[in-house]
Amino acid sequence: MPRYAMVIDRKRCIGCMACVTACKAENNIAEELYRTRVIEIVEGAFPNFRMELRPELCNHCENAPCVSSCPTGASHKRKDGIVMVHKNRCVGCKACLAACPYDARFIDTTSGAADKCTFCEHRIKDGKEPACVTTCLGKSRIFGDLDDPKSIVKKMLAENRTEVPIKKANTRPRVFYL
Amino acid sequence: MQEITITGINSITYPRLEVWDWLIAMYLFLGGMAAGLMVLSAVSQFRAKGAELPKSSYIGPIMAPFILAIAMVFVFFDLSKKLSAFWFYLSFNVTSPMSWVGWTVGVSIVMSALWALASLPDKTGAKLKLTILNKLSTIRKPLAGINLTLGVMVGIGTGVLLSSFVARPLWNSPVLPILFLVSGISTGAALLILIEKDTEESLFFKKTDIALIAAEIVLIALFFYGHFTSTASHVEAIMPFFKGGYYFPFWIATLILAIALPLAIILEAAEVAGRVRLRIHLSAWLVLAAGLILRLSIVYAGQLSSIKPLAGF
Repeated sequence: MPRYAMVIDRKRCIGCMACVTACKAENNIAEELYRTRVIEIVEGAFPNFRMELRPELCNHCENAPCVSSCPTGASHKRKDGIVMVHKNRCVGCKACLAACPYDARFIDTTSGAADKCTFCEHRIKDGKEPACVTTCLGKSRIFGDLDDPKSIVKKMLAENRTEVPIKKANTRPRVFYL
Repeated sequence: MQEITITGINSITYPRLEVWDWLIAMYLFLGGMAAGLMVLSAVSQFRAKGAELPKSSYIGPIMAPFILAIAMVFVFFDLSKKLSAFWFYLSFNVTSPMSWVGWTVGVSIVMSALWALASLPDKTGAKLKLTILNKLSTIRKPLAGINLTLGVMVGIGTGVLLSSFVARPLWNSPVLPILFLVSGISTGAALLILIEKDTEESLFFKKTDIALIAAEIVLIALFFYGHFTSTASHVEAIMPFFKGGYYFPFWIATLILAIALPLAIILEAAEVAGRVRLRIHLSAWLVLAAGLILRLSIVYAGQLSSIKPLAGF
């Protein structure tokens, strides 16, 4: 059974927002709702300043607070590590939205159910990569199987020091940042 | 200087979380009040010596299932997928406070309704001509015990529902469930004081309420102190209650609580001592208002708090 993960190399992100657009188009997300976002942070004043471009999405945490807070089991974790939502089982109580430290979830206005990134599981099934990864111009987003010794993700995690967002929340994210 | 641009924000989570509003605050208030009725009416029944039960011993059990049902209606209206609400009762997730709350309140509605039937005065029971009433009245005391336990669970549950979220520092406090339980029992006592008028039982509820309000004040102080001595995001989380300007409504809430609760103690103590005879039980109304304001302000302010730094990790 694979264990999917994503590595995001912030130095390679050029802020083109192709990932945001590709995600919306691929998953048919309603207007003004997003499963992924890109944060541009500029600190300091010219000429002494730094800029960070940080793509964010659901972290598919191993210790997922959204899954443990769901009253109906609609939010669940698959064996391959992907956190999913059974839309027909979701009651829209919004406990998962309150539980997620990363604010990665929202309410889908069409169905009324909680929604979030699925790592494009329908594409993975067909042997493809998530839409945001395929479209990434700077190759900032890298996706793969942690249990596959040949995967680039495995290699990057072994060769680099990575960070996870809000470490103190201790949710053990499956999205790692370089 | 820091400049932040986000492409792909969802208005439900940014710039602040906006998942729950006054509907959930009303659930917390009514749930707490029903919990108080269940606990205190059970105590009242255990205390009763004569064959005739005091008014609160049967009015409390009669009101509890209705108040709980209204509370659940508020939760229902908050759901964004109302037609799937039945899933609450087709599943149980032991790690989900929301699941516990759904089941506890559901069971409490049934058990308090049975208890209400068992506690009906003989005259009313005879009018109804239901044979089941005789059977139920024989198990009135065990039912009172069960309802006391369920009342405590419902009262604590209103706090656990919020305190389990690590992501929201204001709510993430072990004091909150106890604070909501004590405040809930206090609002239940206030309602019973309004119902009982001038009887010995009313005096007992007033004395109990004085102790409960005093405990509530200590717990509110501990709640804020716990945050104040915790992480930076916890300190930031309580600031709405002490800062004016943008946070003006929360500052007003602090002010009202700081005045209403001690004033309620003073008034109730004066009423117990027989020094004051007001035509309306102002102290009880103050406790009810403070209970509602406490829950409204905690629900809204909790959604302003976050452990998520905008820049960096």
